[in-house]
Amino acid sequence: MSLLSVENISVRYGQLTALRKASIKVEEGETLFVTGPNGAGKSTLLKAIAGVVSPREGFIQFAGRPIAGKPPEDIARLGFSMVPEGREVFGGLTIEENLRLGTGMRADKDQTAKDLEQVYAVFPMLKDRKDQQAGVLSGGQQQMLVIGRALMAGPRLIAIDEPSLGLAPKVIDDVYATLIRLRDSRGLTLLIVEQSATRASLTGGRMVLMRSGEVALEGDARELVRGEALRQAYFGYGEH
Amino acid sequence: MADRPSILARTWTTPVILIVILGVLQLAALAVGSGPFNQTIIEIFIRVVLVVGLFVFIGNSGVISFGHIGFTCLGAYMTAWLTMLPAIKKSKLKGLPDIILDNKLAYGWGLLAAVIFAGLAAYAAGKVLMRLSGIAASIATFAVLAVIIQVYSNWDSVTGAQSSVVGIPIVRVVWPYFLCAIAVVLVAYAHQISRSGLALRAARDEATAASASGVNIPRERLIAFTISGGIMGLGGALFAHSVGVVTPDTFYLGLTFITLSMLVVGGMNSLSGAVLGVVILSIIIQLLRWMEKGVDIGGASFALPLGVQEIAIGVVMIVILMYRPSGLTKNRELVWPSNKLSGWGKPKAPADGKTV
Amino acid sequence: MTALLQVLFDALSLGSLYALGALGIALIFGVMRLVNFAHGDYIAFCVFAMLWPSIDAAAIVFAGNLPTVILVPFILAVGAGLSVLSEIVVFRRFRNANPATMMIASFALGFVIKYFLLMLYSSRPKSIDLWSSLTRQIEIAGARIPPLQAITIGVTIVILVTLTVFLKRTRFGLEMRAAAENFTMARMLGVRANRVIMLAFAVSGMLAAAVGLILVTQTGTVDINMGANLMLVAFVATVIGGLGSLPGAVLAGYLIGAATVIMQVVLPPDARPFRDAFVYGAVIVMLIWRPNGLFASKAAKQRV
Repeated sequence: MSLLSVENISVRYGQLTALRKASIKVEEGETLFVTGPNGAGKSTLLKAIAGVVSPREGFIQFAGRPIAGKPPEDIARLGFSMVPEGREVFGGLTIEENLRLGTGMRADKDQTAKDLEQVYAVFPMLKDRKDQQAGVLSGGQQQMLVIGRALMAGPRLIAIDEPSLGLAPKVIDDVYATLIRLRDSRGLTLLIVEQSATRASLTGGRMVLMRSGEVALEGDARELVRGEALRQAYFGYGEH
Repeated sequence: MADRPSILARTWTTPVILIVILGVLQLAALAVGSGPFNQTIIEIFIRVVLVVGLFVFIGNSGVISFGHIGFTCLGAYMTAWLTMLPAIKKSKLKGLPDIILDNKLAYGWGLLAAVIFAGLAAYAAGKVLMRLSGIAASIATFAVLAVIIQVYSNWDSVTGAQSSVVGIPIVRVVWPYFLCAIAVVLVAYAHQISRSGLALRAARDEATAASASGVNIPRERLIAFTISGGIMGLGGALFAHSVGVVTPDTFYLGLTFITLSMLVVGGMNSLSGAVLGVVILSIIIQLLRWMEKGVDIGGASFALPLGVQEIAIGVVMIVILMYRPSGLTKNRELVWPSNKLSGWGKPKAPADGKTV
Repeated sequence: MTALLQVLFDALSLGSLYALGALGIALIFGVMRLVNFAHGDYIAFCVFAMLWPSIDAAAIVFAGNLPTVILVPFILAVGAGLSVLSEIVVFRRFRNANPATMMIASFALGFVIKYFLLMLYSSRPKSIDLWSSLTRQIEIAGARIPPLQAITIGVTIVILVTLTVFLKRTRFGLEMRAAAENFTMARMLGVRANRVIMLAFAVSGMLAAAVGLILVTQTGTVDINMGANLMLVAFVATVIGGLGSLPGAVLAGYLIGAATVIMQVVLPPDARPFRDAFVYGAVIVMLIWRPNGLFASKAAKQRV
């Protein structure tokens, strides 16, 4: 059974339909990229899974439990760790407090302490500045912090919304290098919203393409990028 | 934006229906003719004036104001100053200018002066406040109320401080109140369909889009604030003439709460909501008052304890906010025939994507 | 020098009350964007809890007769209980409502509490003798100071320090600070919304109770409107302090206290009755100058 399966969910904001019967599946240990143009419903999809918006119809199952319509904290407690768009660090909290925030739901205190050391090992910059307020960090550093924060929650799946948003290309490389390292060393399951299909193909994994609130295409990231179908799906059939 | 004649064509029935509702109350007063009953109808008309006054600003701009009752206070005292007998003024309110002390005007002039004075005060206050928005604006309007009430409760020689000002000519006939209520409904309606009113409503619903398309939000707000301030002043003057006594305390949190409740219960964003809110809550208040006085049921007299009336109103309000946050009218206007209802006041479709 | 000391004490003790009130309001605003107009009525309710319900003019002291070590925790518990109850019964249903709706709902709740008190106790102020020896003045360096002033200042400092330690050093505190900054994100990290909000209400209610105890000792009277004025000032303080900023609320509380006392001293005698009007006028000026408050938090700025 899939770790996460989303079936036919629809979300509306007022009169605007953001998601139209979208379905995806994420298997344990895999990396799934969700890509597509602006307004395709990528972020809404993650928000619906995280419980921040409730779908008007459809079914979501995570770690064997139905979660559609559950509050975000219950979904987080099942091991769904979310890194939302715009990173959302707690600027008034120190870096270490940011990291510790997600550990409240963990019972394994020893492992938590070890994880903190590991996060600091992966991101030494965070350790150097652990007592500073997180608001002073640069965009790239904040991205590292929120990835670290998501790891500290001891998740079964990390969902990241647009990790490259607003970052310099060099920094984006660093962020992805870190993600790949973490995925390979810890066997993490990743669900990444990424506007750049090329970036997805470089990282490797499965990819779905969304358009107008629907899943338009699905397949291996590298193969999709090489083929013609992606471009056609991205821009829409018969529109150009 | 649709052109004016077509808006008028679609919406003119709303003020007509509202005036008919008020007319029914006026007819009831004529038919019953008893003093206490007339007084109740007068109270309702005064509340209509006040709540519609609130609506002109709050409903159209979406900014909650806790300060409007301050303008009511200004209007009430203004008409008191102008219409009381010189002898009473000279003994109690010595600090007034001589020209006011020596003269006595008819209450009609008092009402007019109240509107102008309160309107000017609202203009002056609004000039400063309308740059604020959201909660800061609400708190600032409250500060305006506090300033007005503090000044009027302490300026002994002009307002008699906290002691009541008595001797204001009492107007016991109902029709002047009726006419004022109608006039206010028409003014509110005219403002609502004016360019300025439409722009303000657009800004309330989509602030960014409206200001991007050239709506000067502070200016439109100021216009609404001034008009509504004037109307509140009129309400205050009417109040003064209905009971003949004013004190600053009358115009503080209690009245602020009751008038806001009526607006919210009816539907904050619609003129029909303002009027219906007054009528419905007034009926409830009247029933409860009656029960507080004691009712004979099968020979046994039974009376609700004091305070139940207010508790009931508070509870009704909380329940309505919970289950009908957009009020009994759902922020829509009454129109005839009713299938044209969607034509204006455009209610926002409820979003099911809840934001947590 | 003595006069200055007197002013300082007056300013600090008045400011302490405002700061505690403002803190109670800011805590709730932080976690759920609710401007709680019922806070002043919590204050009155806590004080009335010391009396036996009766509409007679004379107060029948009831819980007020308990020894201090029991009375204080009892009243704090009443405050916390009432506050949490209002969250469960009323405010919980407004979680997704806009701030204006919540604000009006809290206004209505305050109205209900006030008239509930009126029904049980009548609207006449009653006198109650609680720790009245504390209001007898003593001389410190020539300034005549009631011990209550010193105690008010001291107790406030203790409360502020305790609360700071609680917020900075405990898991709950961490979660509350995070929730105040970005509630949705905190929930996505597993922070339990209901628990954090109830805790904030409990603390806020206890602050209301503390304010009530200090007020009633100062004035010796119990009145259904006793919390109203203080709450209004507290509100203004939370806005000036920057909504959502706890240190800002405290500082602004002290600032308004100081401004009030100083105006009392420097205004010409004719203008003194209008002191509060001047204070509110200053508030308007300050809001125009800094709409987000003097110490607006980064989080609040981002949201605007």
